[in-house]
Amino acid sequence: MKREMSMRFMILSLLVICSGCSIKDVKPWEKATLAKESMKEGGGNVLLTRFKHHIYFSKEGSKGGGGVSGGGCGCN
Amino acid sequence: MQLKRTLSVVTCSILAASIVTADDYVRLQYIYYDEDSGRTSVSTPAMEINKDFGVDYTLNVSLVYDSLSGASPTFVDASSGATATVSDGAVYKNDIRFADVDYADKRKSVGVAFTTRFASRDALTVGANFSNEYDYRSYEASAEYLHYLDGSKNQSVSLGASYQKNDVSVYCSLGTDICDTSSGASEKIMDLDVISLEVGFTQTIDTTSQIKASLFYIAEDGYLSNPYMRVVRDYDSNPKITPEKKPNSRKSYGLFLQYAKALNDRLAFVSSYRFYRDDWDIMSHTVNGEFYYEQSSALTLGAGLRYYRQNEAEFYNGRRDYFTTEIYASSDRRMSGYNALNYTVSIDYRLNDKISLNASMSYYDQLDYFDAVYYGMGLKYRF
Repeated sequence: MKREMSMRFMILSLLVICSGCSIKDVKPWEKATLAKESMKEGGGNVLLTRFKHHIYFSKEGSKGGGGVSGGGCGCN
Repeated sequence: MQLKRTLSVVTCSILAASIVTADDYVRLQYIYYDEDSGRTSVSTPAMEINKDFGVDYTLNVSLVYDSLSGASPTFVDASSGATATVSDGAVYKNDIRFADVDYADKRKSVGVAFTTRFASRDALTVGANFSNEYDYRSYEASAEYLHYLDGSKNQSVSLGASYQKNDVSVYCSLGTDICDTSSGASEKIMDLDVISLEVGFTQTIDTTSQIKASLFYIAEDGYLSNPYMRVVRDYDSNPKITPEKKPNSRKSYGLFLQYAKALNDRLAFVSSYRFYRDDWDIMSHTVNGEFYYEQSSALTLGAGLRYYRQNEAEFYNGRRDYFTTEIYASSDRRMSGYNALNYTVSIDYRLNDKISLNASMSYYDQLDYFDAVYYGMGLKYRF
């Protein structure tokens, strides 16, 4: 029950934070910063990020959220 | 004069499009992973090739080779030795140990993804993955469609789906109840099918920040037990070490949120949160934060922290005197409740317009259980 409450609080907090964001109409030529590799998980290093996810997948009891593709592994 | 201006605008647009979208590279990466106390170590060379064909098509190919060795903890009969193929049956209480069982494996995997962009710039990516191990084989097909909701491409929705077919080789010598021992078979191939669905939404907030939210659902159906993992049953009356048994299906769902923000011209922050829940009663929370600092146009430094927390599956118990006649029983620690932390530092150095080098070090700590260090080094060549 306590966990459910904390989860709802977390989602509500995120919605409140996002509702406060002022969304601008960003033109394609203004997206140089957004296109940087440092704006992506793992700094854009896909292979290192995949390896990390592979560790988490094989050592932890949950998965998902990083896209539907990834391949299987006999490490469950 | 007007024609000249129009032509130059068109030329500039094409050039700009090429500059923005051309992303042809080869990436070579080597990662070495090592757990404490001589447990699992993994050596992984990997390669990725990304090639754009004009502005409408992209091909991405990745190859990974894992070489694993080490030991995995489970219950063993000390009188017959801590091996993965230990026979099951009645044992003396004093001979029951929770010990590391040696193993070694090699995993080869290949992934291919092809992206097609339409006139609206919506994109369809289809992919395939294949991996092969000593006792496991996996085939996967996937598709993802990305649709922009506005002309400036500040809002998009995506829908992804994948189907995975896995063949698990279960050796009859492991004593599981799935082998027909009277047939004399030495192994049995068990199926495991996995369907994954994901719906995503991306919103550009301003010139320096972006959010992404997605919902995911995973349905697994088939052999989900680990044939090498053991539990102790009837410890107080007639102790036996038997193979673990997990349910043959698992339905899980969750929410993933990501927020990326450039705090100034040099410093960027990428954060994410994932909520996960399944019908095995596992619920987990994952929070990840990464900073990237551009020291110069050539040098980028990175630092990241990930926190993970899960509670235990309904059929998990780590004690040797707990299980008796339960249908589902597992002492696999990954099914238990625990917290984990992962720290990463990285450096990326751009030698010139074509070549970048990277190195990283990470420390993974599954609190109370084990910790591991892994190092990565790599090269990216743009062509």
